[in-house]
Amino acid sequence: MSAAAAPAAIGIRGVDKVFGTPRGEVRALSGIDLDVRPGEFVTLFGPSGCGKSTLLRIIAGLEEQTAGEVLVHGTAPSVASARKNIAWIPQSSALLPWLSIARNASLSTVVNRRADTRGRTDRTPEDADALLAELGLGGFSGARPNELSGGMRQRTSIARGFVQGAPLMLMDEPFSALDELTKDTLRLRLLDLWDRHRKTIVFVTHSAFEAVLLSDRVVVMTPRPGRIHGVVDIDLPRPRTRELTESRAFSDLVAEVKHTLQRGWEDEE
Amino acid sequence: MSTTTARTAALTIGAPVVLIGALLVGWQFVALNYKSILPPIERIIAEFVERPEFYITNLGITLSTALAGFAFGAIVAIVLAVLVVHFRFLRAAVMPVALLLNVTPIVAIAPALVVAFGFNAIPHIIVAAISAFFPMLINAISGLQAIDPQAEEVFRAMSASRLEIFFRLRLPSSLPFLFAGARLSIAAAMIGAVVAEFFGTDEGLGAVIVMATTFLNLSQMWAAILVSALTSLALLGIVGLVERAVIRW
Repeated sequence: MSAAAAPAAIGIRGVDKVFGTPRGEVRALSGIDLDVRPGEFVTLFGPSGCGKSTLLRIIAGLEEQTAGEVLVHGTAPSVASARKNIAWIPQSSALLPWLSIARNASLSTVVNRRADTRGRTDRTPEDADALLAELGLGGFSGARPNELSGGMRQRTSIARGFVQGAPLMLMDEPFSALDELTKDTLRLRLLDLWDRHRKTIVFVTHSAFEAVLLSDRVVVMTPRPGRIHGVVDIDLPRPRTRELTESRAFSDLVAEVKHTLQRGWEDEE
Repeated sequence: MSTTTARTAALTIGAPVVLIGALLVGWQFVALNYKSILPPIERIIAEFVERPEFYITNLGITLSTALAGFAFGAIVAIVLAVLVVHFRFLRAAVMPVALLLNVTPIVAIAPALVVAFGFNAIPHIIVAAISAFFPMLINAISGLQAIDPQAEEVFRAMSASRLEIFFRLRLPSSLPFLFAGARLSIAAAMIGAVVAEFFGTDEGLGAVIVMATTFLNLSQMWAAILVSALTSLALLGIVGLVERAVIRW
């Protein structure tokens, strides 16, 4: 652990990722450096193939980097994961169809219980019923996933992440499969939860609008090989509102994020 | 809306009734004009009604052979599927052998097993088990592999153990496949039991069919065939009911 009083939530130094494929090696990530402060909301933004999801999976410990160092709260991702200090929210809701909404949301309370009794943990597990109520699913805790709409399933998936109570939440394009109106509502609900529960969130998206609306910082990534081209600070007031998205400052930032990406692509050519 | 449901009901019940009716008429036509090919339906029914205990006793023997074979075959298949899914070496080793077992004619195995194990129930149960084994193995392997990869990642991100992933994700995900396998498997076990009884015994529906052949007793033969087929249908129905009770999502 570093000498600093509070270690960074995430510290990434010189991370490379090379995939072996039948047609040779593919460099998915090259020379990634990134620090995320505790309580920060950071998005990884870029087109498909820029390695943003791969980077998120490495932080989660679902994938191993080829070179470089990744620390989550000063430990390797595998250690943080063994302590259940990382909540993973996938692209699809990935609920278990045979369990009720309440039992889906409280999955973390029945899996890897050793972490609850033995492992050192920085978690504050939350009550599933309370979170479902916060997300407007109070009346549905006994329902099965296939009785719910796509948006409600995705909210259950988010509730499952928050119930785990991990200080770090990793979200891999969780809204990408939803319709525009549902997305709008869920983004603001997520911000609301983040504000009340004080988590560090790393969020992958290919929408510049979504990145600006949600984040403190937008990390812009470009493909072949995946690298960080620039970081845009989003110094917009919080709480973020629908009105804010119609402001000049907001659209300027969306444009800046897009321009950063375009410059990255031009540099490559 | 109610007219649509009524129409659907009329279709699902009416259509098979019409077809079965047509088949029965065809059957009777053949039976009355070519006596050596098929017996008339009323003779088959009369045969069963005259001595139901004969058929029920023999059915009992066939059924217990089939169920014992199904239990063995299905359990071995599921255990093997679990191992095959977790260990790639085993998969490479098991699949060719299972395939070979599947393409070996069951009618040829039965007499060989009677020679090997003698005139008792064991060779018959083995034949039923071999018949039940393969459809269950294939479905169990498919089912155990059919997990949502994103759900698996949710488990892995919490550092769930392989055992937890198996019992909380893999096994429940595979249930619809296991029931599909059970349906094929139990019907195959019944067929295997009847075929096995062609050899080395004078009890069971298979033996009844062989005896009827010897005496050219068409109505006894068809009564035994019919009892066996209707029993298989009933077994499928029971598996379906259990499935409905277990899988509620």
